[in-house]
Amino acid sequence: MSTEIHALAGAYALDAVDDVERAAFGRHLAECETCALEVNELRETVGRLADSTWELPPPRLRATVLDQVRRTRQKGPGRADRDRVSIAASAQRWRRWTAGAVAAGIIAIGAATGTYVVQEERVQDARQIQAVLEAPDAVTEVATRDGGELRVVSSDSLDAAVVIVTKMPEINSTQAYQLWKIRGNAPTSAGVLAAGRNTGVQYVGGVNGYEVLAMTLEQAGGAAAPSDDPLASVTL
Amino acid sequence: MHAVPEPAAAPDAEFLLRAVARGDETAFERLYDLVAPRVYGLIRRVLRDPAQAEEVAQEVLVEVWRTAARFDPARGSATAWIFTIAHRRAVDRVRAEQAGADRVRRMAGSATQTPYDDVVEEATAHLEQQQVRRCLKSLTDLQREAITLAYYGGYTYREVAELLNTALPTVKTRMRDGLIRLRDCLGVSVG
Repeated sequence: MSTEIHALAGAYALDAVDDVERAAFGRHLAECETCALEVNELRETVGRLADSTWELPPPRLRATVLDQVRRTRQKGPGRADRDRVSIAASAQRWRRWTAGAVAAGIIAIGAATGTYVVQEERVQDARQIQAVLEAPDAVTEVATRDGGELRVVSSDSLDAAVVIVTKMPEINSTQAYQLWKIRGNAPTSAGVLAAGRNTGVQYVGGVNGYEVLAMTLEQAGGAAAPSDDPLASVTL
Repeated sequence: MHAVPEPAAAPDAEFLLRAVARGDETAFERLYDLVAPRVYGLIRRVLRDPAQAEEVAQEVLVEVWRTAARFDPARGSATAWIFTIAHRRAVDRVRAEQAGADRVRRMAGSATQTPYDDVVEEATAHLEQQQVRRCLKSLTDLQREAITLAYYGGYTYREVAELLNTALPTVKTRMRDGLIRLRDCLGVSVG
């Protein structure tokens, strides 16, 4: 069990993680019985904190709820795994946002940690992105730089990765952060973030066989080859 | 001071929830009376706005009815299961409406109030349950602040780190070891 991911047990029990971390930690729990036990106990502990929140709801709530209950079909036992439910809920939210994006031209996806800006042309990637985040063999690697973060979730079975760039140093609109997948000494462009943006999400296909994913600062629109050493990189 | 005594809920809630899972509407009414004030109170604590809290509480309570058969006593108590759903829905609502970073910036930027002091004080002041209050007091300041900000404030650990001006790994660790200390103090066990 990796200690880095396990340190998240408390934040996870408190719902203080973002969607990506929740998905990753949920997979971790499926494979680690002692971790699942610890999380159950921490959740139980957290539940006791609700004891202090006692407050009478508006009286009409009771009638509304009971009325709705009478008209609502119950679900069978099925899977008790709440994390699958959570992932489905976040996928649904994602889809809702992406639908609005067509009108808005540009959208901000707030996945609890930062504002992930996804350009309109990237909207079609949303489903692929979600598939990678939910892949059973997804692995997360993180590199940090000046308070910013390069987070790469990759899946061998899907031969794809999702790169989440958060709060990298501010840049001006003539510059852009560019991603590279690297085999040996040969970098191949893996996409360019929008000009002037220090935060973004990028789907990267065809990653199997590559060893490193790196990020450089380039002119807006990107470059054919990296102009300088990477600002941040992770091993795939 | 609250005049209303806190019901000792644990065994009752589980009994009722099992009956609810079999479609027993009368059991649901009793379960509603038992948990709705804490469900509503918790959601209102996180969301602040009473109208939104009412809406989310309604969703949560109907969800409890709908998915009661999925409750697994091997993984924890019925009340913890219900409050987990409630907290998660409240937090989802907060985060769907405001991108996290913006929310922190907006709150941290308003000079008239120190939001985290509010949350922490309110949380501590209202802790009616002697034992929970005593156990929270046994934590270090950082452990207690990190836990109450996340739970009652609905903040992510990143936001908590920003609010407390503390390194991310430290906040993660304090949340976990704080909860472990709280667990041991409360004598919580599962299974």
